[in-house]
This record gives sequence, C-alpha cells and structure tokens, in this order.
Amino acid sequence: MSHDNSSRSGGFGHRLTIAFTINGRGVTREIRPALRLIDLIRDDLGLKGTKPGCLEGECGACTVLVDGDAVNSCLYLAANIDGKSVTTIEGLSAGVDGPGLDPVQRAVVEHGAVQCGFCTSGMIMAIESFKRQCDTDGVVPNRERIKKSLEGNLCRCTGYKKIIDAVQSLFEQVQGADGAS
Amino acid sequence: MNFDLVSPTTTEDLLRAIDEHRGRRFRFGAGYTDLLLDLEEQQDNELTVINLARLNDPSFTSIVHDGGEMRIGALVTASRIIADRKLQSRYPVLCQAAGQHGSRQIRHTATVGGNLCTASPAGDMACALVALRARCDILPARGDARSLAVSDFFLGVRETDLKEDEVLRRVIIPTDDGEVKTHSDFIKIGKRRSMECAVVSIAYHIESDGDDTMTRAGIAIGSVAPTIKYARSACEYLVGKRLSSLGPSERDEFAAKVVEYASPISDIRASAWYREDVLFNMSKSILENH
Ligand SMILES: Cc1cc2nc3c(=O)[nH]c(=O)nc-3n(C[C@H](O)[C@H](O)[C@H](O)COP(=O)(O)OP(=O)(O)OC[C@H]3O[C@@H](n4cnc5c(N)ncnc54)[C@H](O)[C@@H]3O)c2cc1C
Ligand code: FES
Ligand code: FES
Repeated sequence: MSHDNSSRSGGFGHRLTIAFTINGRGVTREIRPALRLIDLIRDDLGLKGTKPGCLEGECGACTVLVDGDAVNSCLYLAANIDGKSVTTIEGLSAGVDGPGLDPVQRAVVEHGAVQCGFCTSGMIMAIESFKRQCDTDGVVPNRERIKKSLEGNLCRCTGYKKIIDAVQSLFEQVQGADGAS
Repeated sequence: MNFDLVSPTTTEDLLRAIDEHRGRRFRFGAGYTDLLLDLEEQQDNELTVINLARLNDPSFTSIVHDGGEMRIGALVTASRIIADRKLQSRYPVLCQAAGQHGSRQIRHTATVGGNLCTASPAGDMACALVALRARCDILPARGDARSLAVSDFFLGVRETDLKEDEVLRRVIIPTDDGEVKTHSDFIKIGKRRSMECAVVSIAYHIESDGDDTMTRAGIAIGSVAPTIKYARSACEYLVGKRLSSLGPSERDEFAAKVVEYASPISDIRASAWYREDVLFNMSKSILENH
C-alpha cells in the first residue's frame, strides 16, 4: 500500500493507493481507507455480478475469491487486496479457452440449480474455491462434506438439493462415473 | 463507516504506530469478521484502525512446533488451523473448534487472535485454547513481552486483560512429546447446525497412557458464564482414573463438577435451566463415547 509511511496515519480524509489483479487484469485504484471490498467491486469497478445480501457475513451472496480462497467481500477491507488477486463471477466466464461458461457454471445450469439467481454468483464462487481445494488435496468429497462447504451460502429458492447435485457431478466427472445419481 | 487506516508491515512499525496513537481512539484489525460489524455505525473522524493484516513477522503469522511448545501466531486463520497436520494429530480439539467456526468464507479470514481479543463467551477457538491451557504472548509498545494463561486473559464479556498499548502476538500451547492417546472434541449446541453462535459449548482434551490411565485432562465450557471457564476440579477428578472403567455414578459426579463452573443466564437463545441441563448431559456424554 503506498502512502508515505505505512506505520503512520496519513491524516483523516486521505486516500490510499492499492494495486491488485481483478479477473486477471492488473489495476491501480485510489480508495477511502474504510472502503469494503464489495463496494470497490460493485461501485468502483462496476462489476455487479457480486451481490449484496445481508452485509453481515451470513448469506454468502457477496462471495469472491482472494488469491483463490472464498471470502465474504462485505466483511473484507478493500485496502487488504493490495498485491493480491481477486476473482469475481465475471472472471469465470472469461474461460480458459475463450468466452463461455466454466465447469462449475455449466454444472449449475445443467442441474437447474438456479431459480431467482440472487444467491447464484456467490454460490458459484464458493463452489469454485471448494473444488480447487479438493483437487489440490486429492479429495473426492461426499454429500455431507459438500453441504458443509456451502454452509456460508443461503438460498431462498432452490431447497439446495439441485445445488448439491451440481457440486457432486463435478467430482463424478473427474472420476469418470456415469452421471449424477 | 469511516476511519483512518495504518498498515505496518514489521513489528517495529507496529509498535511505533501503537505508541503514536496512545491516548487517541484506535482499534486493531486482523480478519475484520467482528470489527467491520462493530464499526458499521462509526461515522466521526476520530478513529484509526491499526491494520495487522499486512504484518510480515512470522511470530504473528505462522504455526511453529518447537520441542516443548506449539506457537500459533495471532494472525493465523481458522482454515490454516484446520489444515495443520501437527495440530490435527496433537491438539485435535483446536481443529475441531476451528472447523465449526462460521462458514468456509469466514474461516478463510477469521483469526485466532481476533477470536481471543473479542472475548466472547461463545468464542469457539478460544474455548479450545482454554481447554488446552494455552498462554497468551502479549507485546507492549515499549518494554518486554509478557505471558498470561488464556483463562486469565478474559475478564468479562468482551473484556480482556490487554492494556491500551498492548497487542496479542501469539498463543503458546505447552507440549510434551511422549506417545499419548488423545480423546478430544468440541461440541457446540446451537439452534441449527451451521453458522451458529453457541448456546452451550464444551471443549475437551484428554490424554491417556498405554494403560488407559488419564494423564492430562482439559475441559472448558462456553456460553454459560460471562467468560469461557476452565473446569479445574472436573479435570483434576479425571487424572489418574481409567477412562474405560468409569461407572455411571462417577460420570454423574464428573458432570456435576463441570456444571459448578456455569452461571448461565436466560436470554433470547435459551433459558438458564436449559443451558445447565444440556451442559450436564454433554459432560456425561464425553466420558461415554470414547
Ligand atoms: C457470519 C459470522 C459467523 C461467525 N461465527 C463464529 C463462530 O462460529 N464461532 C466464533 O467463535 N466466532 C464466530 N464469529 C465471530 C468472529 O468470526 C470471530 O470472533 C473471529 O475469530 C474474529 O477474528 P478476526 O480476525 O475477524 O478479528 P477482527 O474482527 O479483526 O478483530 C476482533 C477484535 O479483536 C481485536 N484484535 C484482533 N486481533 C488482535 C490482536 N492480535 N491483538 C489485539 N487485539 C486484536 C480487534 O481490535 C477487535 O476488537 C462469526 C462472525 C461472523 C460475521
Ligand atoms: S452480503 Fe456478504 S455475506 Fe451476505
Ligand atoms: S436461487 Fe433464489 S436465492 Fe438461490
């Protein structure tokens, strides 16, 4: 974070300069010290896919990845992404092989795991982070573990079953099993 | 929400920042899962947050196992505790408590230091650390570090022994490296299974030797008193006995000793009577399921 001396206050009303990566693109921004990450993403960067729900860490609608880990952007200080990499829902569909849905998004669509869609972007980011961790650890999670991984994401519409089915299908494909049960 | 922010990267800069803000309003910020909600209404221009999240000092940020002790930096997050192999095998109760902390998103940011310094009677990792008889390593802006048992660190609801110019650097769990059999768990009773603040909680860590005789017992209870309590006489009752040969009357006697440390209140989440009854039954159950 660049202001004159990081241990000294810049005085009230001062702004901080932060440099970070958003969906693969490097950016520099001047921000208020108390700015939350969700406000930076939605209002400053104009990425409205990240949703404000409770703004208290309970619902998960605001979930984004910071250096690959799912966090609630409503409880994260924007200043602390300096030097880090942030991924939002918009960063997924950019796709590795050009624009298109990424595997988690595709599974969610294929399983009909979306109704009103308000929880969906946060849900997908939480699943992304969980999937990456399972792949790194070489774990194929069972249903209980999948449910536990989504305890920070509320959905008012679907009743969760189709969401959990969608997550499970991601791991079945890895194993080469024949479709969801 | 409005505040100023300073982000020291070294301990030297941190201590200087504390010193410079002496007598002014400031708060520390670590994972911000409590602090941002606390400061939501904060509008005036008087508050500075000293941001610990950019600190690069391993004594604040790492988990070190060093012969006689296990040192966990105040900035270590719940998810890093869960993932630590050595903690999993030696002090599983801490991983069990961290695993029930909020959600995956919260666990990625919430720190063990923040959990202690918030001093909630329902703090989960804090409860496990009391059971493990961990110590707080505290750094003042000037002068020498001091150390204090976690159970003495809590003075009341949201009140700790930290002075205005002090910061929590790490927690230290004393370790002896012999072969032990561990029986431990963190049990949290709430109104639902996830994302719940405890109505009653118990953390226990019991070590037995090859002969099944209990050699070390740590039991802590949460949400049943203004602070998390270490149930000393209940712990002492177990040491020297064999876990597998405890009868029903001994289990009742043990549970009654645990309950002596509770002074629950009735509030929106549960009645005092309910809390005490649940605590009694939970205490018995930990000696039954091993
Ligand atoms: C949705 C949600 C669910 C939650 N679930 C749980 C749960 O299941 N169990 C549970 O126990 N808690 C829970 N909490 C509370 C919170 O996550 C924990 O208390 C957490 O451990 C706080 O850590 P932090 O790093 O976020 O602290 P912060 O919010 O950064 O700080 C908390 C307090 O400690 C002070 N502080 C932090 N670090 C230090 C330090 N090193 N030295 C001195 N002071 C310091 C701060 O000034 C502040 O007063 C939950 C919170 C939310 C929002
Ligand atoms: S808006 Fe962040 S968790 Fe609900
Ligand atoms: S689809 Fe409507 S909240 Fe989940």
